Amino acid sequence: MAEKLDIKQGTLALMILRTLEVLGPLHGYGVARRIEETSMNRLTLNYGTLYPALLKLEQEGCIKAEWRQSENNRRAKYYALTAAGRKQLAHETREWHQTADLIAAFLAPRPEAT
Amino acid sequence: MRQLRAALARIAGIFTKDHADDDLRAEMESHLELETAEFIRRGMDPVEARRKAMLASGGLTQAVEAVRDQRGLPWIESIAADIRYAFRSLRRTPAFTLVVVLTLALGIGANTAIFSVVRGVLLKPLPHREGDKLVYLRHSMDGPGGASLQFSVPEIRDLRTGARSLAGMAEFSPWTQTLEGESDAIRMSGGLVTGNFFEVMGLSPVLGRVTQPSDDGGGVPPVMVLTYEFWKRRFNGDSTIIGKQVRVEGNSVTVIGVLEPAPSIERVDAFMNMVISSHHLSALMVEGRTHRMTDVVARLAPGATVDQARTEVATVYARMQKDHTEAYDPGSHYRLEVVPLKDALGERARLTLLLLMAAAAFVMIISAANVANLTLMRGVRREHELVLRAALGAGVARLRRLLLVENLVLALMGAAGGMVIAIGGLRLLISFAERYSPRANEIRLDTVVLGFTLALAVTIALLLSFLATMPKEGTFAAWIAAGARRVSGSLRKQRLQRALVVAQIAVSVVLLAGAGLLTRTMIALSEVDTGLRTEEVLTINVPLLQIGGGPGNPADMGAWFRQLMISDGQAKEKYDRIMREIAALPGVIAVGVGTSTPLRGSTTQMEVKAEGKIVAAGEAQPRADLRSADPDYFNAAGIPLIKGRPFRPTDQRGAGRVVIINQTLADRFFPNEDPIGKQIAWTGEVLKFSPISGDWRTIVGVVGNTKDGGPDATPRGVMFMPYAQELAIGGVLVIRTDRDAEALATGATRIVRQVAPTAPIENVMTVKQIKDQSVAPRRLNAALVSLLGILALIIAAVGIGGVLAFSVSSRTNEIGIRMSLGAQSSMVQRMILWEGGRLLAIGLVLGVAGAFFGARVIQGLLFGVAPRDPTTFIGVAVMMAAIGVGACWIPARRAARIDPVVAMRS
Repeated sequence: MAEKLDIKQGTLALMILRTLEVLGPLHGYGVARRIEETSMNRLTLNYGTLYPALLKLEQEGCIKAEWRQSENNRRAKYYALTAAGRKQLAHETREWHQTADLIAAFLAPRPEAT
Repeated sequence: MRQLRAALARIAGIFTKDHADDDLRAEMESHLELETAEFIRRGMDPVEARRKAMLASGGLTQAVEAVRDQRGLPWIESIAADIRYAFRSLRRTPAFTLVVVLTLALGIGANTAIFSVVRGVLLKPLPHREGDKLVYLRHSMDGPGGASLQFSVPEIRDLRTGARSLAGMAEFSPWTQTLEGESDAIRMSGGLVTGNFFEVMGLSPVLGRVTQPSDDGGGVPPVMVLTYEFWKRRFNGDSTIIGKQVRVEGNSVTVIGVLEPAPSIERVDAFMNMVISSHHLSALMVEGRTHRMTDVVARLAPGATVDQARTEVATVYARMQKDHTEAYDPGSHYRLEVVPLKDALGERARLTLLLLMAAAAFVMIISAANVANLTLMRGVRREHELVLRAALGAGVARLRRLLLVENLVLALMGAAGGMVIAIGGLRLLISFAERYSPRANEIRLDTVVLGFTLALAVTIALLLSFLATMPKEGTFAAWIAAGARRVSGSLRKQRLQRALVVAQIAVSVVLLAGAGLLTRTMIALSEVDTGLRTEEVLTINVPLLQIGGGPGNPADMGAWFRQLMISDGQAKEKYDRIMREIAALPGVIAVGVGTSTPLRGSTTQMEVKAEGKIVAAGEAQPRADLRSADPDYFNAAGIPLIKGRPFRPTDQRGAGRVVIINQTLADRFFPNEDPIGKQIAWTGEVLKFSPISGDWRTIVGVVGNTKDGGPDATPRGVMFMPYAQELAIGGVLVIRTDRDAEALATGATRIVRQVAPTAPIENVMTVKQIKDQSVAPRRLNAALVSLLGILALIIAAVGIGGVLAFSVSSRTNEIGIRMSLGAQSSMVQRMILWEGGRLLAIGLVLGVAGAFFGARVIQGLLFGVAPRDPTTFIGVAVMMAAIGVGACWIPARRAARIDPVVAMRS
């Protein structure tokens, strides 16, 4: 089993937004499972990390929540991406790529030492 | 934008907590169910599945807490909780809360009120544009009337050309005139100003315009700028006043503007340009170096400092004195000071206000000490509670914050009470400040004062929080074990409490000593012999002769003077008629008329010389008050004739010039001889500008000194001339009666009105009232400081009594044991009394010592009592001791009445 990673706050928000973009409206449990699966179980999310992050996104207006019936007839709170959330996701994705490129360039093996 | 939205959501979150909590719980529950279902789907047993689900998701409670923290603003909520807790715990101890809040309110109230006066009168920037650049030039010399000499036009010219650090000089020549209205007339404190006056002063009109350089010189129409206050008072704030004509002693003057409110050194009602007074434009005035009639305020040049101006002005002034030796008699020590205008305006109030501020600070110290003591006692009782809270995980920092919040709540409630007290006392303080400062109307409870009050409250809260001892992390167990039995607190705390009591008593003694000294000053002043034989004298000021500013054209001088003599004759006829009719009123013993009100003196002093008496080189030429009086004036005013004769009706114009001098002047010139029959005359440069003759006059009488400069002033020389021989200036009627002089006012005023229907009538006052008025500021001083002293005394008494009561209640057990072992109740009582008495004694010794060293500071405010007056000190010490013992008596009695059986069982 691969070693477990800590999730940084900003990163988690990005993951949540992306999950909602791909899967559409989803409850907290679903979001957690999807993130864990996508990370191939290198990440685990407990309530204490997930729900504050969801609340923060909701306060910022990136997602909105409503109570609905779940696929197996349970009531659950579903989160859905808002227009602002989509914009935020695009913005953060772009930023993330830029940062990743930059870091990659930095960490790339040196070209032919002189 | 996102952050703002989140912040708003979080603030909203504070208020929607209950609903949100339910929602969160439901969400957690559904999460758990979904997870459980998942495990069941994978084939787990339902119970096991749920257990697993709970484990997998981490602690529920922590999660709820974490979400809550994200939802609202946790620190605000916990502080709100602290505040709620503070109110709850204060409500549980209402007596403690009430005493603390009241004590603080008294201390903070006194300080807020007095600080608002200090700020308004001494500290606040002047309303003038760049008012900190204005300096007042004070010209002075030794001798009577020398404190404020004013400047002559040539002197101002020299300063203007010589002192580069002064960018502009505003000239103001006081010029009191009669302003005639539709049906009445009043005396108006006016000032003649140059066109640049308002520009230099940095003052703007609220209505119309102010004077400009184009209003200077002759041949321009006379104009008037009203002060804001006079406009409101005399013209009811009439906004159509601009452009209207008013009559000033026979001249028509156009009102051109109303000035913004601004303080001035002397009271001013209205400003006029110079053209109204041909005298001010005459060669006499413009060229006469000793003809000093103008006050000067200057504006510092950009970048120039007051010190630079001082140096420069001193150089210019020294050169002036060298070039014009005749104008600066070396014996009189002429001086020229440069004083920032703000300081000059606050000068008279400074010492008194600093005294009051110190007294208020003392009250604050005492009340803070008292509150500290109360808090310490309460702290001892709460120690156990605090330790328990700490042990249960509240955290020492959190507990400290809790205490701080509690103390803040107390202090702020005290501050609120203090504001109420300050608002209530402000009117009284403003009327008090009006006697000392032209800026009294600027006193407000403004934001700076509010800030001061808040700062005071927060400081007190911080100090109180500092006093509490907090358990250290990891020592809780020991504290709890020791816990409940520690009822009297640690030794350190007891020492602190006692020190606080001693400090309270010492500071009270200092304050009371000050109050005592000021009260004795006030008594001494009101007992001063005024030199008058009676106080049942009514005085009425009715100026009938209008001199104005001289002829419009210097060539008309002869005609103008002939007209003046005719007016003078008419005025004197009217005075005769008024006096004849008043003399017929029931109870009137004598009626006289003169230039001056008894106990007030005149504003004019001139140099005098006596035949055959040479003033030694380097000695100042003697000066005397210039006055005139009719034959009955002395008798009517109750001024005793010591030698010679009073004036006679035959002392008329054309008859020989005669004078009556007072004792001081007689002693100055004729220490060992009989002054009667000797020759004396007015002299000096100023004579040139005066209608008064410098001829020799024969002394026919000597009268007693009267306290004209106030009860504490040294008497100065006075020379009276017969009213009939001089112009009828002043016009003060003096009426002596054998009954209540005040009751005579109505009848006498009616007679004046009949004879002179439009003449201004001023200062209808009895001599007794005049005397009271001169003592009144000192009486207020004494009353205010005494009030603060009594306040301090009460608080200190409560303090020592409270500490002893606490000591008794915490020693109940011990006292019970002592008594059951055979101690008499009188012995117990003595023991407690001794405990308080020791603190009292130490406090008294320290207080008397403090007063002994501190009294010198207020020496300038004292009269008729030494700053270290033993009677006052002993009196104060005895009073403090008596009240202190009284305060100790109550807890001592309670200790003596302790029932040993009950005490041991408790």
